Amino acid sequence: MKNARLLLIPLSPLALVTPAYAVTYLTVEQAQTLMFEGSVLTRDTRELTAAQIQAIESDSGVKVINPQVNAWHDSAGGWFLLDQVIGKHEFINYAVALDASGAVRQLEILDYHESYGGEVHLPAWRRQFIGKHHGSALQLNGDIKNISGATLSCGHVTDGVRRLLATYALVLASAEH
Amino acid sequence: MRSCSLPPSIERARPLLGTVVAVRVRAAAPRAAHRAIDQAFAAVLEIHRLMSFQEEESDVSRLNRAAAHAPVTVHPHTFRVLAWAARMAQLSQGLFDASIGSTLVKWGMLAAPRAAPLCGGSRASFRDIELRNGQQVFFKRPLWIDLGGIAKGYAVDRAVAALHACGVTSACVNAGGDLRTAGTEAERVTIRTAASPLDVLPLVEIRRGALATSCSAISARSHAGEQVGCHVSGQTHRAVNARITVSVLAARCVIADALTKVVLADEAAAAPLLRRFHAVAHVHHPDRPGTGWRTIGGLQ
Repeated sequence: MKNARLLLIPLSPLALVTPAYAVTYLTVEQAQTLMFEGSVLTRDTRELTAAQIQAIESDSGVKVINPQVNAWHDSAGGWFLLDQVIGKHEFINYAVALDASGAVRQLEILDYHESYGGEVHLPAWRRQFIGKHHGSALQLNGDIKNISGATLSCGHVTDGVRRLLATYALVLASAEH
Repeated sequence: MRSCSLPPSIERARPLLGTVVAVRVRAAAPRAAHRAIDQAFAAVLEIHRLMSFQEEESDVSRLNRAAAHAPVTVHPHTFRVLAWAARMAQLSQGLFDASIGSTLVKWGMLAAPRAAPLCGGSRASFRDIELRNGQQVFFKRPLWIDLGGIAKGYAVDRAVAALHACGVTSACVNAGGDLRTAGTEAERVTIRTAASPLDVLPLVEIRRGALATSCSAISARSHAGEQVGCHVSGQTHRAVNARITVSVLAARCVIADALTKVVLADEAAAAPLLRRFHAVAHVHHPDRPGTGWRTIGGLQ
């Protein structure tokens, strides 16, 4: 084994409380710069009509929650679409870059929030462990960036992209800009 | 702060491998960091495309369709993962077994592969998967492999390798809880148990290592009067206890990922295997006295 340098420090039973897991990866501006570097993006927000919503839902099989399409276009026919999907315990903001043919060129998750809609359970016997790690206080939402456990699902994002592609085909592709 | 939040760090996330894959890179110029992250995502995507059970053009689908009729040549990555799976299966005496695809399909955990009929009859096992020269794979009897228990860990390792190739020396790749770190700084990770996502979570600290956590709780459902889930004991072809959460710390994520399945299937039998790989398992059982946690393995 070449793991002589491996250093694993199991700290169990050190415990802590995590109120809700939230992480921001990119701001909207950072995502736009990353996905459309050198291009000028023009805001092109659309309000979907009832008929368009019905058509999108029928085409994609995904319900439209927000009638507003947060869209930007560039001069080459590309689109930057901002969207949100909501799961049972989480919501995810993400951005999709479409090329001039309407194909997904890039997808980036902007932020991820998770909430179980209740107070965190904190048994008294565990309180003594809070903040005790090598003598320094743990800042839970700053210090702890990783959760390992039941797999986070990305199914809602996949559905969201299908809905966005239908929105592009039925609403945005015919637009002139 | 002394963990990975040290600036400068850039983190991005994409939906891959059926989960959210996050790549965080530290101590790199922003432009170079983004290029490296792109390469890491590309590495994960490649593994996803090769080893997806559902995508019809993946190596796994091609094997499930045809390898029982004639040898199928697969990508070197797929062959390597199959070799890891075979090793884990042998060492665990079948507790880990990649041939469990049909069981997961029967339970409704996976959709049946198209155009890959599976005749009934005697039960196939990892012993029926033959790895031949030239990256050829042959099934000695009809079976469906599922690499879901190991490919995610391998993908994380490939992402870290891609970051290294780009000159990144400090990074963390987290694929929905299967994660690996590179560099000298410690990563702190909370482990979510099956018991309650609201409950307090134990913390582990990793330096240049990998951590994988498995639990069937979310996928648990009833099938023909029995509780089933996404994790199967390869020996018994029965579902593992969905209330148990297993986190394994190891040098590589492919090892950690596979070992979680072995520990879930049989804690006692897993102990020698954990020691062999210098790995540690933290096992949570809600009925266990005290914290509910028990640590087994080589680095206690």
